[in-house]
Amino acid sequence: MGLFEKPKSIWSILNSRPITFYTSSFPLEKVGSSFFHGERFTSRPLTGEGAMASHTFLSLLLFYFYTFHLVHPIHCSVGSNAFDTTSAPQEEFSEELLLKPLPDYKVLAHFHFTSTSPPSSSNGQHHHLFPKSIAQLVKKYKIRELELSFTQGRWNYDRWGASDPLSTANGKPPGVELWALFDIPTKEEIDATWRNLTHSLSGLFCASINFLESSTSYSAPLWGFLPNNGDLRYGALPREAVCTENITPWLKLLPCRDKAGIASLLDRPSIYRGHYHSQRLKLRSDGLNGIVIEQTLSVVLQPIDRTSWSMHQLFKKSLMGKCALAKSSKVFLEIERSLVSQNENILELVGEADMVTNDQRDHSTIYQYNVERYSEHEALDIRVNWKKLLQVSFLQTPLHASRFLMGSGNERGSIAISLQSARNSTKGLYDNSKNCFTRVVIFQVVPWYVKVYYHTLRIYVDGAIRDAKDVVEKINVTPSEDKVSPGTLEMMLQFPCGMMSAALTLDFDKGFLHIDEYPPDANQGFDIPSALVSFPDFISRRIYPDSISSPLLQSYKGRNIVKSYTEVLLVPLTTPDFSMPYNVITFTCTVLALYFGSMVNVLRRRVSEEERLAKSKDKRKPGLIPLLISKISNKVRGIKEDSANQSQSSQPILGPKVVFKVVLIALIAVLGHYFFNSS
Amino acid sequence: MADDTSAAAGTSTETGAGTESNLRTTKPGTKRLFLTVSVLISFLLGAPFLLKSTEIHRSPLPSAAISSLSDHLHSNPPSFPCHFQAIFLSPFKPSDSSLSLSVAERIRAQLSAQSCGNCNFTVSVTVDSGSSCRHEGDAASAACLWECGGGGLVDAIEGRDDQGIDELLLSAVNGRTGGCAGRVYSIFVIEGRDERVVIGKHRHAWMVLKDLDDSTSVVSMIGTVFGDYFMRGGVEKGEYIPVGSDGNVVLSFSLLNSNPSDWIYDWDFQRTGEVLLAPVLEALAPVANITMESQVLYHAPKSSISYWDEKLEAYVVNTRDLPFFVNSNEWHLDTSLSASGRSKVLQFVVYVPSASECPLYIRTPEGEMSKTNAFISPMWGGVAIWNPPGCSMQSQGIHIVRDVLPPQELEKIIEIFIGQLRLLFGLNSNYVEPSPKFKVLASEKGFTNWELDLLYRQHTCFNLLSSLSTLQSLSTLVESLPRMIVMDEIGKQVELSLEAANLAESNISLGINNASALSSIRARALAEDAFFHPSIMSISYSSMEHYFAIYMPFFAPVSLHVLLAAVKEVKRYFAERSKYLTFRASKLKSS
Repeated sequence: MGLFEKPKSIWSILNSRPITFYTSSFPLEKVGSSFFHGERFTSRPLTGEGAMASHTFLSLLLFYFYTFHLVHPIHCSVGSNAFDTTSAPQEEFSEELLLKPLPDYKVLAHFHFTSTSPPSSSNGQHHHLFPKSIAQLVKKYKIRELELSFTQGRWNYDRWGASDPLSTANGKPPGVELWALFDIPTKEEIDATWRNLTHSLSGLFCASINFLESSTSYSAPLWGFLPNNGDLRYGALPREAVCTENITPWLKLLPCRDKAGIASLLDRPSIYRGHYHSQRLKLRSDGLNGIVIEQTLSVVLQPIDRTSWSMHQLFKKSLMGKCALAKSSKVFLEIERSLVSQNENILELVGEADMVTNDQRDHSTIYQYNVERYSEHEALDIRVNWKKLLQVSFLQTPLHASRFLMGSGNERGSIAISLQSARNSTKGLYDNSKNCFTRVVIFQVVPWYVKVYYHTLRIYVDGAIRDAKDVVEKINVTPSEDKVSPGTLEMMLQFPCGMMSAALTLDFDKGFLHIDEYPPDANQGFDIPSALVSFPDFISRRIYPDSISSPLLQSYKGRNIVKSYTEVLLVPLTTPDFSMPYNVITFTCTVLALYFGSMVNVLRRRVSEEERLAKSKDKRKPGLIPLLISKISNKVRGIKEDSANQSQSSQPILGPKVVFKVVLIALIAVLGHYFFNSS
Repeated sequence: MADDTSAAAGTSTETGAGTESNLRTTKPGTKRLFLTVSVLISFLLGAPFLLKSTEIHRSPLPSAAISSLSDHLHSNPPSFPCHFQAIFLSPFKPSDSSLSLSVAERIRAQLSAQSCGNCNFTVSVTVDSGSSCRHEGDAASAACLWECGGGGLVDAIEGRDDQGIDELLLSAVNGRTGGCAGRVYSIFVIEGRDERVVIGKHRHAWMVLKDLDDSTSVVSMIGTVFGDYFMRGGVEKGEYIPVGSDGNVVLSFSLLNSNPSDWIYDWDFQRTGEVLLAPVLEALAPVANITMESQVLYHAPKSSISYWDEKLEAYVVNTRDLPFFVNSNEWHLDTSLSASGRSKVLQFVVYVPSASECPLYIRTPEGEMSKTNAFISPMWGGVAIWNPPGCSMQSQGIHIVRDVLPPQELEKIIEIFIGQLRLLFGLNSNYVEPSPKFKVLASEKGFTNWELDLLYRQHTCFNLLSSLSTLQSLSTLVESLPRMIVMDEIGKQVELSLEAANLAESNISLGINNASALSSIRARALAEDAFFHPSIMSISYSSMEHYFAIYMPFFAPVSLHVLLAAVKEVKRYFAERSKYLTFRASKLKSS
């Protein structure tokens, strides 16, 4: 298979180690710390006032129950007071659902389940609510943070919003994305642990996550994805299909699975019919908070009736009470301010909410429904009616990012990332003064067979080419190594605020794969995973009053950096004819056999003797073929004599009659052809 | 080029042209014959080289050694050296001189021939009463024999309870025997008023008999204690030992709430369970490395049907429905992640029935209710049903009861689980004494020393046999598939496994217990590794069809040419020679 040996990439010869160079004075620490604070803030548990408020609320409910059921001798309690035999923190579980009407009359349903396990030496061994398998995973692989997402479809940043916390956190690239932060010192150990982790996860979630095991499919970004000390591993499988076999193990991690509570709404045909489907598992583990897992499922559904929908219509199921083990069980309806600000009567809600609040900046309104109030006899069903159809859009990212391929042919091409300013939606942030800059971080992983020449990076700002030094603040390139590692590009750019559009191009050569390395559907092309474009200067957060105690809304408070994933690219590579080895073998062997046979004959045969023999045979008797011909003709004649009405056409000898008939038919055919053509 | 000369010489151009071609004046040439035949021969000679060069790499497996060791083990299963000694602390005059022989006779009579883990025993009888000290029977060495001078024991035993006697005798045994290869099991025979037979927690038992003169009954009693208990553990067969091939076992305890909308029970397994189970795990440490974990699961209904029984006022599950009790669709018991490699996971499940099926009991085929309300499934684990208190009174409640399993209840359940663990390991859960005089002391560790010895023997033997059967199936598999690639690694593993098995076997016969157990585990693990080696899957990539597809396009046409040429040339040579011979004959005749 010498044919498939591909030339080595220039960059991989030059340097196989990551190249880091800074072109600006912005230090890494500053960016890192801002990220870090954001993380810390989200992971903090309920603050004092919030917890107090919820307790007064619960005690009211408790009172309500006692008035009716005091006759029962058995201890009755609700919510967190149940396992109060010990003062130690308990494992907790809460379930939430957020419904959000989208401007294009679709509905976003965001399921959010949180399980926490307090720090304890028995983590991974003895559990009550928390999934044992996850705790064992954390313990075995020393995971600090992990996020696994299964997504189908692409989050529509233009229409469904891009800079609110929900879309920032839940917009995920198509296919599977996995990243993990390990609490392991050496690089080799991290790589080995990552490999084992991918295998365990693929067993747990019934998916081919184990393809991320090979070093060609994962990378170790330093700051482009998430600032870290080299203990982060990131991998994506853009082509992984997501279906019920992935959601069943995911539901298994919930104490009530889909038997009760909010998860019982997950009717498989309804949720897989959606336009976007993203199932996520995020876990954090530290000594302070123990292990926290957030399981979210975001689906964008199209109601049958565009102007009015209800929960029952969307999911074909009713919400009949909470999961008995959930500490809190709530359904939220979030209405973006931009949907209602223009005309107050655009939207009508049917169903009485328990609480209505706005966030601090008045971006949205939250209607809260406590599932505890509802039961089999009275199911919770929120209905939303649109009174008027109109086109609005949600908050956009400062720059709209998209990525595409340029060039043609199977030899080379270039990747382009285009950034279009979405100025109208974020007007206040822009001015044309010279000192204003917007920072953009681009993180992109490219498989090794797409050999990107990073020196060909060209940056266009408003259509004019700009020197990379002026725009690139810092860049970190890990060139791909053939069959060893993918190429990783982390780049921080700063653009002037008044910029309308920018574009980046990178040239690449398409490599050759070994015949064994092609997937079964090689002609379909190869996927380049989505690039991540993030805007570190823009933070999406929504702060709601502390009276709402909800892990979901709590996560909104975090300093989430605005980011968006680009499209997946499909690169067609030269695919060989897979039957070629056999063809080559057969062809060469035939030629050799011919040559050999003729050589043997030349050496062996006696030409003069054969000729002489042939002559003597001619004299004695006619050859085989004339003999056969004469035999057949005799036979035919004999038959003809026997049966007179035999068809004439069987007569092999060209008599004048036959000739005449043939000529006649030919003439008729020619004339007919001529006649039809002329008419 | 050779055409001119040989053709001229070989063919009868001048003579045969005119009248007859069946005459030949010259000797037929052999050049072309030699050429074609030599091509054919070179092809034939080259064939072995071709086959050699296209050979698949197959590491040679020592199949002969495997089958011979396996045959050897099957014909006489490994037996461990044990020494049984009966010590008469009271004056005793045996009627016949060879008491030890008759005891041995008695034990052998009950011995089933082919069971694994039996003792290769020796029996000795010692009479140690006051001044007289007499040894009889055979022992591997003098160190195995009881050292006389235990006369004071009879008095010391008086007035002590069984536990006390057990400890007293333990110290006596430890002091007076030792340094014996293999285990020593002792039985003390004392003359006394209340007749009783007690089997202790360690490796000894004692009998109090009124009358020592009836030697046949004494022999039969001693034989029963040695044969049925110390050697076989009172059970008939212990074929499967639920230990993973790497010697690890994970005990996974799950509390299943059938329907959490009726009531939710939690447990404090970590505190109660670990305390109760820790000594058991410690005791089993030589057999298996055991870890445990627990979880609580919800919405886990059983899948078999129960029905209301008026008489019992309870819901009842029949024994024949028990195979369907475990609901694998809804019971997400999960194989543990911490159970790495080929460890064995044993599930222990506490099932809390829902309000619609409470109280729930298991009915035995005899129509009685099961005492423990629990059952086991061999090699899988055990299930215990726990009915919440007062659940029959509880009708439809709107509120939900959340409670913790009371520690006393949990203790009971864990006792059931320890019994189930004993059953899963092939021992009796508790001994049904044949008579009130017969007593088996139970250890607080769950397993007595002599039972552990038994498990140890069985486990070693089982490992040895299973490693050999794995090796044998691997070698038959490899032999049956001639185009299968066998990596060197597999060959090496097989060799090492066989080596370890041989070592274990020799250690068993020498009575080195630790070493034999270790090497038997090693033999099994290596055999499994070799059998489940991932490269065994590569068989499909070098099939016979592939081989033919590559070589046929060349060899089929070429061999046709070569063969035809050879056949033609040989035929022609003989034809021409016969012509020449007739010509010569006619010439001779004419001359």
